[in-house]
Amino acid sequence: MKKNLLYVIIAIAMAAVIFGLGILASSITERKAEKEFTYKPVVKIGENEPRNDVWGENFRREYETYLLTEDTTFRTKFNGNAMRDALEEDPRMVVLWAGYAFSKDYNQPRGHRHAVTDIRNTLRTGGPLTPDEGPMPATCWTCKSPDVPRMMEEKGITEFYIGKWAGKGQEIVNPIGCLDCHDPSTMNLRISRPALIEAFERQGKDITKSTLQDMRSLVCAQCHVEYYFDKTKVENAQYLTFPWDKGSTVEDMEKYYDEIEFSDWTHSLSRTPMLKAQHPDYEVHKLGIHGQRNVACADCHMPYISEGGQKYSSHHLVSPLKYIDKTCMVCHRESEETLRNNVYEHQEKILENKILLEDVLVRLHLEAKKAWDLGATETEMKDILSGIRRTQWRWDFSVASHGAAFHAPIEILRIMGNAINIGSETRVKLARILAKYGFNQELSYPDISTKAKAQKLIGLDMEKLNAEKQEFLKTIVPKWLVEAKERESKWKIIRY
Amino acid sequence: MKLLPKKWKITYSLMIGMIIGLAAYNFLASNAISYLSDSPKTCINCHVMNSYYSSWAHSSHSRFTNCNDCHVPQDNFLKKYLFKAQDGLYHASIFTLRKEPQVIHIKEAGKKAVESNCIRCHEKQIDETSLMTHYNPKYSDFEERYCWNCHREHPHKRVNSLSSSPESIQTK
Repeated sequence: MKKNLLYVIIAIAMAAVIFGLGILASSITERKAEKEFTYKPVVKIGENEPRNDVWGENFRREYETYLLTEDTTFRTKFNGNAMRDALEEDPRMVVLWAGYAFSKDYNQPRGHRHAVTDIRNTLRTGGPLTPDEGPMPATCWTCKSPDVPRMMEEKGITEFYIGKWAGKGQEIVNPIGCLDCHDPSTMNLRISRPALIEAFERQGKDITKSTLQDMRSLVCAQCHVEYYFDKTKVENAQYLTFPWDKGSTVEDMEKYYDEIEFSDWTHSLSRTPMLKAQHPDYEVHKLGIHGQRNVACADCHMPYISEGGQKYSSHHLVSPLKYIDKTCMVCHRESEETLRNNVYEHQEKILENKILLEDVLVRLHLEAKKAWDLGATETEMKDILSGIRRTQWRWDFSVASHGAAFHAPIEILRIMGNAINIGSETRVKLARILAKYGFNQELSYPDISTKAKAQKLIGLDMEKLNAEKQEFLKTIVPKWLVEAKERESKWKIIRY
Repeated sequence: MKLLPKKWKITYSLMIGMIIGLAAYNFLASNAISYLSDSPKTCINCHVMNSYYSSWAHSSHSRFTNCNDCHVPQDNFLKKYLFKAQDGLYHASIFTLRKEPQVIHIKEAGKKAVESNCIRCHEKQIDETSLMTHYNPKYSDFEERYCWNCHREHPHKRVNSLSSSPESIQTK
């Protein structure tokens, strides 16, 4: 009987081991199942998901700060994120852009959330009533929306650049957002626009080898750069290209444009083959002290935010002056007021030269027109036109990126100084030609005190332009939106 | 064995079978083989390590080191595996008992291992002059100073606890 008791004890001991192993097995299984649910995103973000709100479900904090780019109440001394009519504030620009769409309508930029609305509303895109009409090519959409990488993936890059702007309106509805800078599967920064990748390739650089710190600027450099539309590369396409092959200073890019004899338009008063600088923010930033120290765009425009022990980068892209405590003051131990005034001082001083330069340019265009009217020949005017082109290219390069006065004040003052000199010398030559044709007096400065007066001077029919735009906004845009809504309603959202 | 009555033989065989079966299941389900490797993916077998894994993965250290390079002694083969076994058992027990804290702090033995591994790779950056800011007897706590008292961001950054980084989700 004693033996039997021993058998029972052994059996109980084994049962205890089995019990323990069983509990362990259940614990392992349970915790493995937990892994499937813990730290899981809410939705699966598709490969080409352009809808920012879908991304926002997974990244609430980033998304909520991104939504703040809708705000239009912040004003600094000269800029901010409010809708401001730049032509009304400085009507000289109307004369400088005579014959070019920018003389019709040009506003201070607003936040990314307004990108699609603003390009539909601006008079520059006209009032196309069919997909094949209108002044602008499809390429103009390139920087406006995460629908662009989606379409490039679906249709091909070159195909995207073919056709008119109005032909793709129904496809492009989501404003600049997540997919533009992030890889949907890893959330790493990525370059979604081919123009930047191609510009790097032509310079023999591989953009995929960039460091994270460089990427924090390069994602911005997909759009905030100088560019042009190459009409020679592929037939019928206006191929978005960065003119960086010789370098990216104002002189390097001018050389590039001169060599390919490129001009954006011919000035309607002075008949100059002009260059329009777009917004070389990235190039200018690289030339300033912050750029030289490799401070990235995101360092100041997307500062870190601490919230209840959590740290993330603000996606409210805006002037760093809005959050001085989180931007400048991370490195500079001065008061907010001092820092703000430092920026304003740069801007004020550069503004002085900007106005001087614009006056020179207004006079140049009008005096050149006078010379043509008096019968000056093309050979006589050749030098003059080259001078006007060079002067205005430098002016535009300095002012088109709204932050240049902060990003690289010394470089901008150098460029403006050169431009005032080139412009003034050209005026001396022009005075000789005018004198030769019997006009030996000062050509009076026109009354361009308001945008309307300036637009009248260059012969724009604003009433017609506005009416066309209203018609387009009333009849075409609602159709685009219906079509887009239908398309997006078919895309299933996969929830975990 | 001959002495064992038949009914006990059957009972015991069944029970031993269950033990072997369950043990095998646990062995496979817990991915036990992976613990012999140096792969950082092993450490995220437990999801509480996700945020530490991702802060490492985004750091410059991820290009040259794995978890074990820093967190396990590297001076001798036996020591390494003994330490791994000890640490592993401890971690597994705490995790199984659901006793893991929201903010995980390194223990004494771990500190020593990491410190010696900092020195192992960064030996050339350490000379007498730079050490004076560190092991200087004029500081009362000089014997308890570690590299990361100053180099606080390396490599896990300062925001790395479970509750402060809920979005380290792309680690699998």
